[in-house]
Amino acid sequence: MTSRYVRFLAAPALAAVLAAVAGGATAAGSVAPLKVVTTTEDLASLAREVGGDRVTVVGLAKGYQDPHQVDPKPSFILEVSRADLLIAVGRELEIGWLPALVTSSRNAKVQAGGTGFLDASRNVKILEIPTGQITRAMGDVHPEGNPHYWLDPGNGRQIAKAIRDKLIALAPNDRAVFEQRYAQFDTRLAAAEKKWDAALAPYKGAKLVTYHRSWPNFMERWGLNVIGYVEPKPGIPAPPSHIIQLIDEMQRQGVKLIVVEPYFSLKTPQSIASRIGGTVLVLAPSVGGVKEAGDYIQLFDYNVAQLTAALKQATGR
Amino acid sequence: MDTVLLEFLAAPIAAALVVAGIHAYLGLHVVERGVIFVDLSLAQIASLGATIAVLVPALGGDPHSPGVYWMSLAFTLVGALIFAMVKGQEAKIPQEAIIGISYAVASAAVIVAMSKAPGESEHLRDMLVGNILSVQWPEVWTTAALYALIGAFHFVFRHRFLEISVSPEKAAARGVAVRWWDFLFYASFGFVVTRSVAVAGVLLVFCYLIVPSVGGMLFSSRIGPRLAIGWAMAGVVSVLGMYFSVLFDLPTGATIVCTFGLALVVMALVKVVLPKRTLQA
Repeated sequence: MTSRYVRFLAAPALAAVLAAVAGGATAAGSVAPLKVVTTTEDLASLAREVGGDRVTVVGLAKGYQDPHQVDPKPSFILEVSRADLLIAVGRELEIGWLPALVTSSRNAKVQAGGTGFLDASRNVKILEIPTGQITRAMGDVHPEGNPHYWLDPGNGRQIAKAIRDKLIALAPNDRAVFEQRYAQFDTRLAAAEKKWDAALAPYKGAKLVTYHRSWPNFMERWGLNVIGYVEPKPGIPAPPSHIIQLIDEMQRQGVKLIVVEPYFSLKTPQSIASRIGGTVLVLAPSVGGVKEAGDYIQLFDYNVAQLTAALKQATGR
Repeated sequence: MDTVLLEFLAAPIAAALVVAGIHAYLGLHVVERGVIFVDLSLAQIASLGATIAVLVPALGGDPHSPGVYWMSLAFTLVGALIFAMVKGQEAKIPQEAIIGISYAVASAAVIVAMSKAPGESEHLRDMLVGNILSVQWPEVWTTAALYALIGAFHFVFRHRFLEISVSPEKAAARGVAVRWWDFLFYASFGFVVTRSVAVAGVLLVFCYLIVPSVGGMLFSSRIGPRLAIGWAMAGVVSVLGMYFSVLFDLPTGATIVCTFGLALVVMALVKVVLPKRTLQA
């Protein structure tokens, strides 16, 4: 009777001691939320979904900026220097500005290969990875594949999963929180995917042209065919022969729709569109690219609605 | 202002002061010669060399490889040779015209070369043009050493360089090989500009070259005081620009450029007010 009573009291006491030891072992880190810095707002949105109030998230490049070209500000160095976790898109997307920023920050945790660095592209589906030797004849290629992979919600789920695992590794005490929040996000995303699939199902196989190669994952996800690009190398005007070929090809295949990223000039796409009686549609490649796209799921809500309306008009379906 | 930031800004500030030191001096020559855009032109020629080097597979296509640096330097020297020759021939064509043409052709050639690049070339431009915010200490030291060397060279031959900049006809009449000294000037200048653009970016380098010497001209017609005023101005603007960049969280290079503009306006206003007082005194 007595020993049972003692055990009854001892169990919670022991648990409390263990919790205190565990809490002490991770020091203040488990009390204060983890400081997460992401290179883009898409990754910031996914990190917020998974991390909830256990993290503070700062996205460096704004959604309306070209993530290839970002002019670093002093606050960027400060953010990266204080980060517990830095999440990058990878695949050379940020090669023009991130490496110098990370070096300047002198934060050992977030250097490539450090415990606080996550390359979000490691377990996602990457398209357009060149095989074999890259030669000039292949045209414009990214040696590590197309970096705009977050535009497939399936990849978004994989990124969220990678973030969940990384957060658990950095703050094991909050494992339950991260697992639960990931599961909730997974459920919401799956429901939204059903909705998007239904909206775009009638246009499977529809053909369109995009400005740059930002959309292969998006288009592949919903079975849309990109038959050409307005400016294969951004900032370098395509030769006239390319534009003429593109117009011929659009006319031959009856393609009327040109999709453009918000940070590229509309001049060339509009002149092509006016030549063939087509339309130019600006879609948001990132969260924050338009004000309607406030988070990762809203990004697709916006793009799917815009694209559905434009395809309806272009194909008459 | 966040004091932690000072630690991160120490290297950029040091780099800015190193760049300011040599450019405020070279700017005197450039303004005196009336070849204001020579650095933009040489920078563009250097970047054409670098672009071509990156496109040559033998050099590995890495924008940070030494081969790229040497190639851009070689192009700069060819540019220096062209600028020196044109002046030497005393043609009726103004030298600014040749500089402008070189700028336009070199810029366009970079675009043409990039259109033939096998990979994504949009990063290339970013990598060739530096950002003062991301400067690291080793870069500051090598740059300072290079500029000290070139500065010493200019100090030793300061009278000769000044003479061919200010009154080349007189020097030629005395039998000085003006064409050769012109080449030495543009070549040493090219060394500096190639390096500075890689550290600080084109716009900022242009400002460090021209604005301090114009600021100096506002207050003095003699070289010594002009240089002193230019150095003081460049130093103050560097620190002030960094401070504004942090205070308002703006891109650093562009903020320093705007601060230069602001400083020049303030100095011009001071000049309007100052003579009356000194005359009364």
